[in-house]
Amino acid sequence: MFDVMVILPLAATGAGAILIMLVAAFETFRREGISILGMGLFAFAFFIQLTVDNSGDIYPFAEVFNGMLVANTFTKVAGLIILACGFFSALAAQTYFTQNKGFVLEFYCMLLFAAFGMLLLTMVAELITLFIALEIMSLAVYTLVGYDRHSVVRAEAVLKYLMLGAFAGAFYVMGAVLVYAGTGSTSFAAIGAVVADSGYLSNPALVGGSFLILFAFLFKAAAFPFHAWVIDVYDGAPLPVTAFMATAVKTSIFAVLANFLLINPEVHQGWVTFLFYLSILTMFAGNLIAIGQQNLKRMLAASGIVHTGYLLIALVALGSERFSGGAILFYLAAYGVATLGLFVALSYLSGQDERRVSFDDFRGLAKVRPYSAACIAIFLLSMAGIPPTAGFMGKFYIIAGAFQAGHAVLAVLGIVSSILSLWYYLRLIIVMYFREPEQRFEVAELTLAPLGTIVLAVCVFAISFYPVVL
Amino acid sequence: MLDNLLSLMIFLPIVLGAGILLLPVGREAARALGLAASVLVVLFGLKIFLTFNGSSGLEFVERSPLIESLGISYHLGVDGISLLVLMAAALLFPMVYLLFRTREKGYYGNLLIVQGAMIGAVCAADLVLFYMFWEVMLLPVFFMIGLYGGPNRLKATVKITIYTIAGSLLMLAAIIYLGMAHHQATGQWSFAMDALSGLSLAGPAATLAFVGFMVAFAIKIPLFPFHTWLPDAYTEAPTATTFVLSAIMAKIGVYGVIRFVVPVFDESFARYALILACSGVVGMMYCGIAALVQKDFKRMLAFSSASHMGIIALGIFCMNVQALTGTLYQIVAHATSTGVIFLLLGLIEERSATRTIDDFGGLASRAPILAVFFAVAMLASVGLPGTSGFIGEFLIILGAIKFNAVIGILAATTLVIGVCYMLWLFQRVFFEKPAEKTATFHDLTAIEVLTILPVIVLIIVMGIYPQPFLDKINPAADRQIAALAQVVAVADSGDGAELNNQGKN
Repeated sequence: MFDVMVILPLAATGAGAILIMLVAAFETFRREGISILGMGLFAFAFFIQLTVDNSGDIYPFAEVFNGMLVANTFTKVAGLIILACGFFSALAAQTYFTQNKGFVLEFYCMLLFAAFGMLLLTMVAELITLFIALEIMSLAVYTLVGYDRHSVVRAEAVLKYLMLGAFAGAFYVMGAVLVYAGTGSTSFAAIGAVVADSGYLSNPALVGGSFLILFAFLFKAAAFPFHAWVIDVYDGAPLPVTAFMATAVKTSIFAVLANFLLINPEVHQGWVTFLFYLSILTMFAGNLIAIGQQNLKRMLAASGIVHTGYLLIALVALGSERFSGGAILFYLAAYGVATLGLFVALSYLSGQDERRVSFDDFRGLAKVRPYSAACIAIFLLSMAGIPPTAGFMGKFYIIAGAFQAGHAVLAVLGIVSSILSLWYYLRLIIVMYFREPEQRFEVAELTLAPLGTIVLAVCVFAISFYPVVL
Repeated sequence: MLDNLLSLMIFLPIVLGAGILLLPVGREAARALGLAASVLVVLFGLKIFLTFNGSSGLEFVERSPLIESLGISYHLGVDGISLLVLMAAALLFPMVYLLFRTREKGYYGNLLIVQGAMIGAVCAADLVLFYMFWEVMLLPVFFMIGLYGGPNRLKATVKITIYTIAGSLLMLAAIIYLGMAHHQATGQWSFAMDALSGLSLAGPAATLAFVGFMVAFAIKIPLFPFHTWLPDAYTEAPTATTFVLSAIMAKIGVYGVIRFVVPVFDESFARYALILACSGVVGMMYCGIAALVQKDFKRMLAFSSASHMGIIALGIFCMNVQALTGTLYQIVAHATSTGVIFLLLGLIEERSATRTIDDFGGLASRAPILAVFFAVAMLASVGLPGTSGFIGEFLIILGAIKFNAVIGILAATTLVIGVCYMLWLFQRVFFEKPAEKTATFHDLTAIEVLTILPVIVLIIVMGIYPQPFLDKINPAADRQIAALAQVVAVADSGDGAELNNQGKN
């Protein structure tokens, strides 16, 4: 019974997606109705995920369906983050499509399918299931990016994403095959047992395969040197989809990576040096890209790379202390709240056809829409890691974890990177507050996004002292 | 309710300030609320001052866990070291609301938040809590300079923000390092001051952490060579912000060194005290000389304030009771005198719409009361006997000569430069021929006189009868120096000897 209970949220999300697909066939359902239904389904799945008792400590792993899936507090919280991201992306979409063209009723269906793939991804404990989950998620997200085929930008974005994503998928499959060849199993736990037995480096197929798998994930998480696609794809995708990609996709990828590495400490040992340098390069590459951007979507995409770098620090420090897994989730939640908040705010401030997305377009926002500006400032401060926001505590946990694992260099470089990132976060605040307004920032009709922005701004403070126990 | 006096002093202004910023409140209402809150804080502050007995360590302690897994707690308390800084942060604020009555509501809201955060930083006995208040107190300053500052405010606000946040992020790394060191030593995370001061830290990592702390505080004080943000920020900031920065926030930097750096990094501190003392003296001289040649009234006072911060900082680095007591005393003395000077300058600026020193002249005949007030505050800031400034600076110089004769003599000589530029300024602005631009200048109104008079009286009382104040400070200063002396003695016999001996030759 436990097995079925655990996948209830998963089932609810999948069934919701199919429900929307069916409902969309009826003429009577219009945009408003379907968006409320989409949000409602996300909320419903969220509450199921919240109430389902799949407790079990992070060790030992509670195996579900004969070791195909795992369920523990870690996967539960990751799932909650993903569903919350889905909810707020749906909310942003509701507002976004009042002012932008290109809405299809299946939008919410794809959103739910993507969330389904992500939920599955957080729980996988086996390489083939992992691939299926990864592809469910990716296919849905490709569709979301490019469903508006009349738009050149969208087409460009989806082409880039699809081509590179397909490569990453191929890498993954190749890696999985090699790992299977090296260890004789596709289950994480069995791989871990083999590695513990014979050592990591003595097994070339395993080493090669696991690195190919790592590359695939680094691509999805937009880590250096696989980060180049992010800027154009995030920029080309519709705002709510960008929000969803920036938050939920990252959450699911880091959840599965953390799961994989927690079960396989030897593999982690083998990867540590590599991840160490990668996290540094990711942070600084992201910062350098972000500093030069004029467009907010591109800036947020680049800052997403920087945050991937911080999360990689947490991965490096993983396992050395009990709260390191919790640190990843807390950081993802804090980052997710701030990023979603910014995108939700952009979804009603950017106006018709996303015409206000550059820094200069937001001049004097504080004088025209003070509450929106205040919320955006809160999100930016959280991303910059200023107390008492959630972003500060997130950085705190990550840096504490890095010190704890003996990587003082990473901790200090993480700090240096956050000093650099002040440049572009403060820049928007300065533009909003200290310049004279030029635009009126009209909001077309009654929309939910302003409310969502305020809720998320409250969340920035509300979760900051939430104790991390995992 | 009065059991949580410190929390009340912190969160009453912060909550009220946030409320004023968020809710549609008129500017008159905002000012009235701000005034009411600041007067309440003054009353709470006086109660703390009068009931403080000074014998033991922390008093008015509040402690509850915040994040248990990391040992972070909400831990507040006051001792002899923080008491006078707390007083400076609590007592001076009503003046701003009384003197500047036509500002926007954001001005008053931000002022409230900055006051609450500064009081929080002074009372925090947990490093993470301290760090939070420390960062929060910068944000209102950022917004006030950017929104209500002078023509070059953007540059100034970016400079001060990046400078201070960069410094404090390095301190954050150092704080987390300390928590980790405590974890390694005892198996438990903790950021409480009493727990951390018991650590014996050694090695390059400890030195780096020491540098992290020192840089953050040196930027805030500001200590040479981290002072370059100061002239721009002080000059471009609106009066209330300059007042906050110079009178109180700079002192919190000094306080941070005494409270956190000295007890935790006692060994590193003793080792590098001479270098730091030199930096203090160089800063004094540099800013003093720079002040001599300024044409802008406010910029000159900014350099003057920085120069005096040099001597206050010097008092810590001398590592003896006299100098430390002098520093703690001078923190309040300088807060009152500089605070009054900048507020009076704000009033002068409002009335004459100029800050160029050459535009003034003969103000004394047009505004005699203002001239008298300015003279008292100015003389206190240059350390004339009979004013509060004398006691503090005398003690610091005394301690400095004990520590190192050269540094003591240099510091004493530099004080003369301070007298030069201040008196010269006073002559050019208040005496000489009346200038045309100040033809319509009128004297202080009754409210303004009554607002400033108590502080002027305090300046004189502190100069004539310092004993009650010194009684509150002395036990804490004694304790701190006694703890430090042990470390210095150990270091003297060990490998740190040559560094300390260099100072004595």
